[in-house]
Amino acid sequence: MELKYDIPALSALPLEQGEELYYCVPYDVSQEDRSWITDGYLAVSSKRVFVLRGSKVQATYTISEMKHTRAEVTIGGGMLVTTINGVQHFIVRYSAKHRTRFAYMARGINILSKGRTEKVESHERETVCPKCGRALTESGQCPKCDKKGGFIHDFKEMVTPYKWQIVRITFVMILASVVTLLNPHLQGKLIDDVFKSEDGTMGKALFFLTAMFILGAGIVVINVLKTYLCTLLGAQIAKDVRKKMFDKLQALSVQFINDRRPGELMDRVVYDTGNIRDFMQHTFCNLFTVAFIFGLDVIFMLAMNWKLALLAFSSAPFGVWFTLKFRKNIHRRYHLQWMKMDDVSSNLQDVISGMRVVKTYGKEAKEKEKFDDLADEFAKVSFSNERFWSLFNPLIQFIMGFGIFFVLLYGGMQVLDEHMSAGDLFKFVTYTNMLYQYIQWMTSMPRELTGLVESMERINDVMMQEARIRDDENAVAHDIDGEVEFRHASFGYKSYEPVLEDINLKVKKGEMIGIVGPSGAGKSTLINLLMRLYEIDDGELFIDGIPLKEIQNDYYHAQLGVVLQETFLFTGTILSNIRFAKPNATYEEVVRAAKLANAHDFISKMPDGYNTYVGEKGMTLSGGERQRIAIARAILKQPRLLILDEATASLDTESEFLIQQALERLTQGRTTFAIAHRLSTLKNADRLLVIDDHTIAEIGTHEELVAKKGIYYRLVKAQLEMQAQAGA
Amino acid sequence: MSKETIDRKNVGVSQEAVDQMITTRILSNDNVQFTKTEGGFLSLKSDGKEYARVKVLRLFPFTDPERYISVRDHNDKDREIGVIEELSAMSKDTQDLIHEQLALYYFTPQITKIYSIKDEYGYAYFHVMTDAGECKFAINMGASAVVRLSETRLLITDLDENRFEIRDVTKLTQKEQRRLDLFM
Repeated sequence: MELKYDIPALSALPLEQGEELYYCVPYDVSQEDRSWITDGYLAVSSKRVFVLRGSKVQATYTISEMKHTRAEVTIGGGMLVTTINGVQHFIVRYSAKHRTRFAYMARGINILSKGRTEKVESHERETVCPKCGRALTESGQCPKCDKKGGFIHDFKEMVTPYKWQIVRITFVMILASVVTLLNPHLQGKLIDDVFKSEDGTMGKALFFLTAMFILGAGIVVINVLKTYLCTLLGAQIAKDVRKKMFDKLQALSVQFINDRRPGELMDRVVYDTGNIRDFMQHTFCNLFTVAFIFGLDVIFMLAMNWKLALLAFSSAPFGVWFTLKFRKNIHRRYHLQWMKMDDVSSNLQDVISGMRVVKTYGKEAKEKEKFDDLADEFAKVSFSNERFWSLFNPLIQFIMGFGIFFVLLYGGMQVLDEHMSAGDLFKFVTYTNMLYQYIQWMTSMPRELTGLVESMERINDVMMQEARIRDDENAVAHDIDGEVEFRHASFGYKSYEPVLEDINLKVKKGEMIGIVGPSGAGKSTLINLLMRLYEIDDGELFIDGIPLKEIQNDYYHAQLGVVLQETFLFTGTILSNIRFAKPNATYEEVVRAAKLANAHDFISKMPDGYNTYVGEKGMTLSGGERQRIAIARAILKQPRLLILDEATASLDTESEFLIQQALERLTQGRTTFAIAHRLSTLKNADRLLVIDDHTIAEIGTHEELVAKKGIYYRLVKAQLEMQAQAGA
Repeated sequence: MSKETIDRKNVGVSQEAVDQMITTRILSNDNVQFTKTEGGFLSLKSDGKEYARVKVLRLFPFTDPERYISVRDHNDKDREIGVIEELSAMSKDTQDLIHEQLALYYFTPQITKIYSIKDEYGYAYFHVMTDAGECKFAINMGASAVVRLSETRLLITDLDENRFEIRDVTKLTQKEQRRLDLFM
């Protein structure tokens, strides 16, 4: 991201001797009347901050006086605020477009005001192509400017592995065209040589009929073959793309996945690859045949009777023009229908998943009304569309086929004048009809191509992503000993909103660290970093003195044991869920792990024991049961580093107590990080970490923190009071 | 466990905290005095307390932008000081000051005219006139960039997370509405 724009006004800045220009970034909203502007810039030198508007300097601030400069996020934008002599000052405002840039500015100004001289750099990507203004894909590439070969290139790459199949299909297609074109020829002959001829005999008629029958049968066989081959090709290519996408999705960071709605990614894997399949199957395969037949058709017609041919062609331009003219309209109509359908189904989904709420609040009637309205609207739109289509389609065929009347009139006259045989006219009319059919088919080509291009773009958007978390080239397979250190670590899910700032923490091997603090303070974020689901923005994280970046990701993850607040069970049996991390675990191991997790009892009481099938999200189990299975899963792995995020939150007190005991045994000698709201859960922790306001507010043993009478003390007191109440 | 026992157990700090949590302080002309600071923000004197910088938020920005304005203490993690129920009931000076601050915290240009919408590569490019001037922006067609606040009201979020509002779609010309059809 550019932090030093080069603008003419900079040369006019009254810089002093030894004052160096550091940054220059645009702001795009005027502070007077909050309207868009294009000539506002904020320039930062080593000593001062200038607010520029055009060539005028509107305000100047001295950096040494600016304390605690911040880029505040507002609704739909942001503003740069600083504190001078204890009073907060507004400097500039900007739209959301420049939030990130100004977050860097604030950081840069703060560094300068502390007397340091280093410059901040941004590795973040721009969102818009600097050349053409198009939105850039996530990977920072412009769909237009950065295309290496573009769509054709991608398409070629996709189909190359199947070139022999395509050759085979093309061959079948040519065969199909020849047979298709031969049929009218035979029919013409039949008319001329048998029906209209003096010496038409039964034998000749039978000969032609047999030939026609064979051709007819041939067309059927060829078509079946064609459909088979095309379907195979489409399915195979779509399968390839789908597999590649799934691979990529797994390789990409959690951040990428979280940034999108899950439905969006599912759409890309399912719907967009389906689009590719349809295109390959229906359009691509027919493309050659149609082009081939079309060409031959035109040549035949011209050769037979060029005057008649021109007459036949004459109406086609109108038909094409008419179709093209209405295409947008048709597209809009069907898109609207699709949107209405979407409304209906999302409402349905809402109500079904919220059925308990709807029923307990007695809102069935209201929901019915809402649904009825949506269903009515959809019905209205689809009725209107069907009516339109039933009118439009015959009309277009009529217009397109209008030339046939002239052909018949003129051709009929020629037959009567005996310039042309009846068979030839028949043949000609058949060819003309064929021509119209193909023209109509071809008018839908642009739309199908656009659909394909869009789908491929969306797929490529994912495929071109570079996995943000990647192993260093010389990453090592390190066996974790258990020492963890955060050094000046900062992180934010969005770069302009830091979640953790300047985290410093050194954990010894085998230590159990309890993490407490208000919700939203960054506790889960801290362990997300430790689990390497996200990469820290600034600072470093060491495992046994080795930077985490230099440890092989897979190898590292294989040694973690994780129990999260939200336990996820895969569709399958309890056994397969416990074995998830260690598929080859023996029954003894599984049972031992389940016993440790206090899960063995309830599992054995189930009718199917460990083979009990847990459906999607394990709906048939209670929260506590699911959590215990998740704990068993983590234990089975014998992890070197244990991470517990509210691992026992959904358990009743008795089970929690039992599991606490078990975990105590498990955490012996293992470095453990545990987040908990119930402080009693953390009574075994060696040290406690209080996270508040994006950083480590307090750290120490229970006794130390209580003696300190800070945040932790207040938390303990509040919980004791609550217990006292419950006991009263 | 009766109510009395809870009350007796809950002494001191936490009782006050609970009260603070569940009661809404209504700010009126009698108990507030807003002043503009030299830094361009708003300070507040209220019931003997002084707040160096307060932040104003709309509780119902779409349905009632002029009522229920939450006033918060910026220097204490934006803790709520109180709520102005009816902005129009406040003194003229206060109204002006609050409006100025609201304009600073809220930036949602209203689209008044649509020159063109072009969709390409899964993004839609808008060229529009807003009450903050002419502007061009792009949205992601795949994501839920366009939210229907009501039958006729749209909120559009662009790639940079800027927000644009169309108050009443029916006020646009037929042609402009048709351009929007894809998102309705």
